Amino acid sequence: MAAGTRERILEAACDLIAADGIDDVRIARVATRAGVSTALVHHYFSTREELLEEALTHSFETAGSERFSAATDPGASAAERLASAIDACMPHPGSQERDWVLWVELWLRAARDAGLRPLAADLYDRYRAWFAEIIEAGLRSGEFTSDRSAPEIADFAVALVDGFGVRAVIHAPRATIAEVRNQVAKRLAAELGIEAEELGATG
Amino acid sequence: MVFPEPRLSFRGTRGGDAARVSPRPQIDHIRRPQILEAAVEVICERGLRNTRIADVAERAGTSPSAVLYWFQTKEELLAQAMIADEERFARELEGRLAEIDDPAEQLVAAIDACVEDDNWTMWIELWSRSLTDERLRGEREGLDRHWRAILARIVEDGVERGVFDPVDAEEAALALAALIDGLAVQVTLRDPALTEERMRKICIETAEHLLGVELGSVLRPPEEVGA
Repeated sequence: MAAGTRERILEAACDLIAADGIDDVRIARVATRAGVSTALVHHYFSTREELLEEALTHSFETAGSERFSAATDPGASAAERLASAIDACMPHPGSQERDWVLWVELWLRAARDAGLRPLAADLYDRYRAWFAEIIEAGLRSGEFTSDRSAPEIADFAVALVDGFGVRAVIHAPRATIAEVRNQVAKRLAAELGIEAEELGATG
Repeated sequence: MVFPEPRLSFRGTRGGDAARVSPRPQIDHIRRPQILEAAVEVICERGLRNTRIADVAERAGTSPSAVLYWFQTKEELLAQAMIADEERFARELEGRLAEIDDPAEQLVAAIDACVEDDNWTMWIELWSRSLTDERLRGEREGLDRHWRAILARIVEDGVERGVFDPVDAEEAALALAALIDGLAVQVTLRDPALTEERMRKICIETAEHLLGVELGSVLRPPEEVGA
């Protein structure tokens, strides 16, 4: 029950951050949205800062574990796993899009607030390692070929996903999820010596 | 330093000025860019949401009413500041490129300009604002289009001269711009695993793969950049 309540509060905080921006989030509103008292929120999170940091971490961890499970299907080839990973990073309407809004909030805050940078660095470490592991497996099995190492290609992949993904989330022209995913797939596939379709490109 | 307050009220006798002997043309020349510059500084330090007219006025060495004289609202001021900052980046880069003849060297110069730019916070603010502000979304698109056009021109030129492989210049420019955006976020966040040097390396290697060109001979040692 306690775990459920804490999560409900974090989810409420995430919804409000995504809707109003992190600076406008107030404990009282989080409490109302979570259907609990302000006192209870304070019980779990001593400060507003702590709540906000935990909310961001919660969002990324939830997204991360969803993504991990999508990409660890034992029967899947490295290309299929990588295609899943790319797709999981796209701002699909719903919780993934919300996660993206929170991700951009994190960028904005950590850009100015040194206190949030260790959190951002940790999340990026995990994000890069996740791609590197799949790419490494593909290189080892010979499914992928490249003169770059897995960590280098992972850095490239993560940057592409971020750079293209943000265009999709702000609804830039010619940046639908399909178009953006195709661009990422095309560039990453070229890097790995495979066809773009193997990474989920369509059309 | 104290600047004289404009003698005209904000509530708009601007139209009726013509008849007066007005110092406005000089103020026009000096004050607006100063205010924009001050606004950019404050936005970078405090963020868009925490930037008040009073802060900008203080930074610019003038009064809030003077700031409002040039910008009707705080929203207008902030939008113009962000746009002005991005336009400055593009202008400076185009100036640099005009002095370089070789497309490969131009490409490296463009990448270097991005790696060395310390104002990515502004670009991140624009992304964030674009989520909800239609007007700023439009402005951002215009700025992005301009920036990609600069890259595309370099690629086109290189393709034409046989320096680069025959690729679609717009697609290549888009890929490079997206890559640069993604890397710049991590560098701006001072991620220890993604330094400016690493960003530069990844961009150069990607450009080499994309365009079938060796860029080693045009590389210069990375400049020392302040924190």
